[in-house]
Amino acid sequence: MIQDYLILSVILFCLGILGVITRRNVFTVFMSIELMLNAANLAFLAFSRLHESMDGHVLVMMVMAVAAAEAALALAVVILLHKHKGKLDTNVFSLLRG
Amino acid sequence: MHDFISLLPLIIIGSGAILLMLFSAFEKIQLETASYISMGFFAAAFLAQLLVGCGPETVLFDKIFNGMLVSSNFTMIAGLIILGCGFFTAMNSHTYFKINLFCTLEFYAIMLFGACGMLLLTLSQELITAFISLEIMSLSIYILVGYDRSNVTSTEAILKYLMLGAFAGAFFTMGTALIYGGTQSTKFAEIGSFVAGHSGTNPLVLGGVFFIFVAFLFKAAAFPFHAWVIDVYDGAAAPVTGFMATALKTAVFTIFANFLAINGALHKDWITFLFYIAVFTMFGGNLIAIGQNSIKRMLAASGIVHSGYLLIALVAISTDNFTGTVVGYYLAAYAVGTLGIFSALSYLAGEGEKRATFDDFRGLANVRPYSAAAITVFLLSMAGIPPTAGFMAKFYVITSAFTAGHMTLAVLGIVSSILSMWYYLRLIIHMYFHEAEECFETGGSPLAAAATFILVFCVFAIGLYPIVI
Repeated sequence: MIQDYLILSVILFCLGILGVITRRNVFTVFMSIELMLNAANLAFLAFSRLHESMDGHVLVMMVMAVAAAEAALALAVVILLHKHKGKLDTNVFSLLRG
Repeated sequence: MHDFISLLPLIIIGSGAILLMLFSAFEKIQLETASYISMGFFAAAFLAQLLVGCGPETVLFDKIFNGMLVSSNFTMIAGLIILGCGFFTAMNSHTYFKINLFCTLEFYAIMLFGACGMLLLTLSQELITAFISLEIMSLSIYILVGYDRSNVTSTEAILKYLMLGAFAGAFFTMGTALIYGGTQSTKFAEIGSFVAGHSGTNPLVLGGVFFIFVAFLFKAAAFPFHAWVIDVYDGAAAPVTGFMATALKTAVFTIFANFLAINGALHKDWITFLFYIAVFTMFGGNLIAIGQNSIKRMLAASGIVHSGYLLIALVAISTDNFTGTVVGYYLAAYAVGTLGIFSALSYLAGEGEKRATFDDFRGLANVRPYSAAAITVFLLSMAGIPPTAGFMAKFYVITSAFTAGHMTLAVLGIVSSILSMWYYLRLIIHMYFHEAEECFETGGSPLAAAATFILVFCVFAIGLYPIVI
């Protein structure tokens, strides 16, 4: 049983990575990052069940709180970008080239 | 009582941040007052941190925090560096924001919050505590990077940093989940005893540690994840860049060293991996730095090179009686040198940082000989010329690599140090061997200049400290 949850978690995590790398819309990228965090949460819960302890549940709450704080800042940045460029495509940002 | 004193700097900085945030609701308080208040809090916390002198490791409030926070001499040194950096950054900001007018009172509050997260990160010995403090630190730094909201470059810098930083954070969480699955715990002590008790590698622990390393290497700007650092340093305001380059790196390397030191077997498994990362970080950073024309971008790239030296120190740490003195000393030496240059840039760059490239600093020595001399001292310290702090720090890192039996790494470190002379000396040549084309007028307050000269003193003080003692 536990394997199924872990496999699902890994699939979600890989989908998140793929989204961050391939997508060009800022919103989609942030959503993909949230997907990765939630994949980790699913893994926490599955392991928590496996070890029969409540620790994992507490950790999930912590991660969710942090993810919410990060999302708040991310949305503010998206608004700022939209003010400057009128677009949410990462391709239009090319002033800085490492 | 001792536990309380160990935690006192964190409490002072945390309450200072909240107080300053409340103060900023009042219109009467001036920007300058806020910077003095934040300097006061940093100084008070620095003195409180100096009071903590303890043995190798003390668990803080064992019952209440369940062994999540551990203080040691190493965390004390890291705390002192972070608080010192905060103090000088407040001084630099005071000057910088007299010339550049986009600052509000919350800037200083957010800086204190960032320092709070860094202090917590150095103390934490548990993965979720580390994640939370990492995020407190990163979220504050993101805001500071993008503080100039009318500036497109700084907006682009915050976007890049936020996306990649959150990506690294997701890796950290996944790594924690895997380690929790493998060892039933997220506490460093229990992970250590699990690794010690089980021979052979547990795939979950292996994967988890890899993911956590990815996050740390990203935050430390090491080789495969170094591309963001140049753009972000370039887009941020000079005092903020100085704070990021020094205090943030100190916090990240402290937790990295603490994590590696949890068990000898774990450290041994990853030595080869860290070896290659260190080599590529040093030489990759050097290659990037040689090609830069802007001083801030050159300093960002040289920060990558210094991360490489710190990784050498991490390869060479002994896990049995871990003290972290080499890492701590290198961080201190690097912090004073880099922070000094950014202090000088804070008052020399002028309005909107119009002086940014090597050419803009031509003939600085004719017009402002003292500032040019100070910058030269910092550059020589970063290049590793005796009797500066940078020389002693590199000396210790390379000797520790020799002692641990990593000859190749030590030799490559020396080669990279010689290569890095190229771009440090280039700036010195620009300052000293050209005619001045402008008069380098500076506005603002004298605080950043004062910080620069105090830091010159610190460079020599830290460099001579091991000889005198």
